[in-house]
Amino acid sequence: MAGKPDVLVIGAGLAGLTAAWQALTMGKRVRLIAKGWGMTHWHAGCIDVMGEGVDDDGGISDSAGHAMAGTAAVQPDHPYAILGRPKLNEAIDSFAQLCRAYEYPLVGNAGKNWMLPSAVGAARPTYLAPETMIAGDLTDQRPMLIVGLSQLNDFYPGLMADNLNAQGIPAAAVTVDLASLREVRHLNPVMVANRFHSLTFLDEIADAIRPHLNGAERVGLPAVLGFEQPIRVKLELEQRLGCQLFEIPTLPPSVPGIRLHRILVQEIRRLGGVVQEGFEVVAAEISGSRVLRVFSEAGARQKSHAADVFVLATGGILGGGMVAAQTGDIKETIFGLPLSGVKAQQDWLSHEYFDPQGHAVFKTGIRVNRDFRPIDETGSQFAENLIVVGTTLAHCDPLRERSMEGIAVATGFWGGRQAASNESS
Amino acid sequence: MNPVELSLQNCIKCNICVTACPVAAVTDLFPGPKYEGPQAARFRGSDQPMPDSSVDYCSGCRVCNMVCPTGVKIAEINAKARGGMVAAGAVSARQRLRNNLLARSADLGRLAQPVAPIANAILNNRLVRIVTESVLGIAREAPLPSFSRLRFSKWFHGRPKTVSAKRQVVFFHGCSTEYYEPRVGQAAVAVLEANGIEVIVPPQGCCGLPLLSNGEFDAARDYHASNISSLLAYAKQGIPIIGTSTSCTLTLKEEAPELLDYYGEDAQLLAAHTYDFHEYLLELLEQGELLMPRRPIPLTLAYHAPCQYRAHRIGRPSLEIMGLIPELNIIESQAACCGIAGTYGYKREKYQIGMDVGRPLFEFVNSVGGSVAVCDSETCRWQITHATGIETVHPVELLAAAYGYTGCDRVEKAIAGS
Repeated sequence: MAGKPDVLVIGAGLAGLTAAWQALTMGKRVRLIAKGWGMTHWHAGCIDVMGEGVDDDGGISDSAGHAMAGTAAVQPDHPYAILGRPKLNEAIDSFAQLCRAYEYPLVGNAGKNWMLPSAVGAARPTYLAPETMIAGDLTDQRPMLIVGLSQLNDFYPGLMADNLNAQGIPAAAVTVDLASLREVRHLNPVMVANRFHSLTFLDEIADAIRPHLNGAERVGLPAVLGFEQPIRVKLELEQRLGCQLFEIPTLPPSVPGIRLHRILVQEIRRLGGVVQEGFEVVAAEISGSRVLRVFSEAGARQKSHAADVFVLATGGILGGGMVAAQTGDIKETIFGLPLSGVKAQQDWLSHEYFDPQGHAVFKTGIRVNRDFRPIDETGSQFAENLIVVGTTLAHCDPLRERSMEGIAVATGFWGGRQAASNESS
Repeated sequence: MNPVELSLQNCIKCNICVTACPVAAVTDLFPGPKYEGPQAARFRGSDQPMPDSSVDYCSGCRVCNMVCPTGVKIAEINAKARGGMVAAGAVSARQRLRNNLLARSADLGRLAQPVAPIANAILNNRLVRIVTESVLGIAREAPLPSFSRLRFSKWFHGRPKTVSAKRQVVFFHGCSTEYYEPRVGQAAVAVLEANGIEVIVPPQGCCGLPLLSNGEFDAARDYHASNISSLLAYAKQGIPIIGTSTSCTLTLKEEAPELLDYYGEDAQLLAAHTYDFHEYLLELLEQGELLMPRRPIPLTLAYHAPCQYRAHRIGRPSLEIMGLIPELNIIESQAACCGIAGTYGYKREKYQIGMDVGRPLFEFVNSVGGSVAVCDSETCRWQITHATGIETVHPVELLAAAYGYTGCDRVEKAIAGS
């Protein structure tokens, strides 16, 4: 694609990628630029829509829908409340359909959250999970065997099994030593995942696990079951072991997250869009009520990017879309957009790390109107052709709510469509 | 602290660079950018022993920099570490001799180009290559380029001078155009002159990048200083300095200043006036000043944007300019790297790593087929041809042909065969 795009998306997390995909489906010329790869390589590869709702006494909610309704009631400016249930559902369903088209089904649990085990054995409420993970659901009491690989550091089956047992879920643990991995000096989940393309490796790992089954009805492995056909790998292994298999998210790089990244990038390119990393957008040129161009850092001089509509999807403090200074200042990094929820530095963090109320600093975000255009506290719009999506938005706390991916997908989806039509709803 | 060292504080250990690194994916000898870069750098204080010589297996492709979500200059941290190893005498004399032979392309060219037929016969001799491999460690299969019988600057100054009051540019030809592939420079001159631009080719030396990527920082500093002194006068007049070699222009823009802590006013002025060839043309296009190519090139060709090009962070200007050529269908590779990474793939201990790194690209080029492949960087072109047997051209050769220039034999042959 040459020349000026209709839509320029800034940021390659789930929100930015989803926005680019949607603007392309509406026939627009789309370019996505990003400083680097982001959240897709860190997160668990599930779509958490709403884990802990405000109507739920601070406990874990088993109904994403229920928790969401509660949130919308007390927080009318929450991104979900702006969108409403039908739009949220449509976005999440379309995303699941896209993944299914790439033979990687993400499945929901009839409106309820799955309770999937984290790598330390904690219950992780999530709305959509890849088919490779759902056999690990903890509302099901069947005994499980957690399997680690001796060469893959940072995964502790014993710790996980102990924690599961403490919660009344029968779990045993084993670490298997695979001859084919012994010569490898440094192993990470991506490298193991690449080995699953070989049937010999499947046989080797199945043979190593089989003697330790001892009546386990399901086997949990770190999430490394390959990139190309993880569902097939899962079925092949299940056949060899005679029981169900599930993936457990690992520390980064996260294979299930990367699968989602690859699906979205592939789809964007298939539709004629461009995805380029290495562009840190640092400034913008604005004239009247329009953003004319943005500028990215480059060798010797800045690179200018003009477009008709801009989608800001740079994330929050973790994603780099906002920076917090020692002085207590928190800034949106490109446009200097007005932020909501900024507190004095001493009030950023709660004294309790696991405070159920979360930390104030993570609630800082960009205020938007019903069209996802940024506004200031008086409600006046910053620019007519700038749309903000993802966890950089105000009035939500994605970490505490467990709504990170849901907000990214839903606002990315509708923000991308808004950008393509560039009309107020 | 300079920006390179400062950037390591931004590392959040997310491992994205390790995921993307094309070298770590094919060999255990390089544990990955995170370990070698921001992590090991913390142990590289002057009063501490070197952590690990495996940093020498970093190819410097900069794929890690491009994917890093927090802006760590990983490849530069690694290059500096290698420079530190050379300075500390941690690299054997034999290796340094080999590295210097590979890295001093200007000296080599000055010596061998005048006797090109003899030099080429010697360098293509299998026995000679076996001996140089065992004595010096230069891989016998690696694609050494042939010296041209024509030296670009001699050709340029031997032709009638064209003058334009409208626009002038300095052409930075680099060693490859000067000694090996003058056809690329000739095509560039054809394109510029077709646009009514006066081309100036002042005396110039190697940009110093091959030395920088072999840790020979002192020698590289001399080259950079000498280029500044010969090019500064033009920069001061506001004349752009443009080059078809993506790594040379990146070195003048950024690599030399960053790696050598060369942040003087003169170096900055030179950097600010340096452009990649197509980056410059794209600016002309945006100003409505670029001549539209009219001659159709009815070919479907594979294009690889080299790592050194992507590292400019300017997008894909050559892809956009090629998009103006009627009937030309370019398919862009999504491969990380061709593997040769300048001098890296010429080294005996790294040749196979380079070939393994490049495999996805070679498969892509073969799958697109076509009579030629397209790539902006010279060593990548040689590597692609070596691995696929498909001749490779610089994008400017296609553009020149589309302007009606018929001097690019490879392009003409391809058009004739279509």
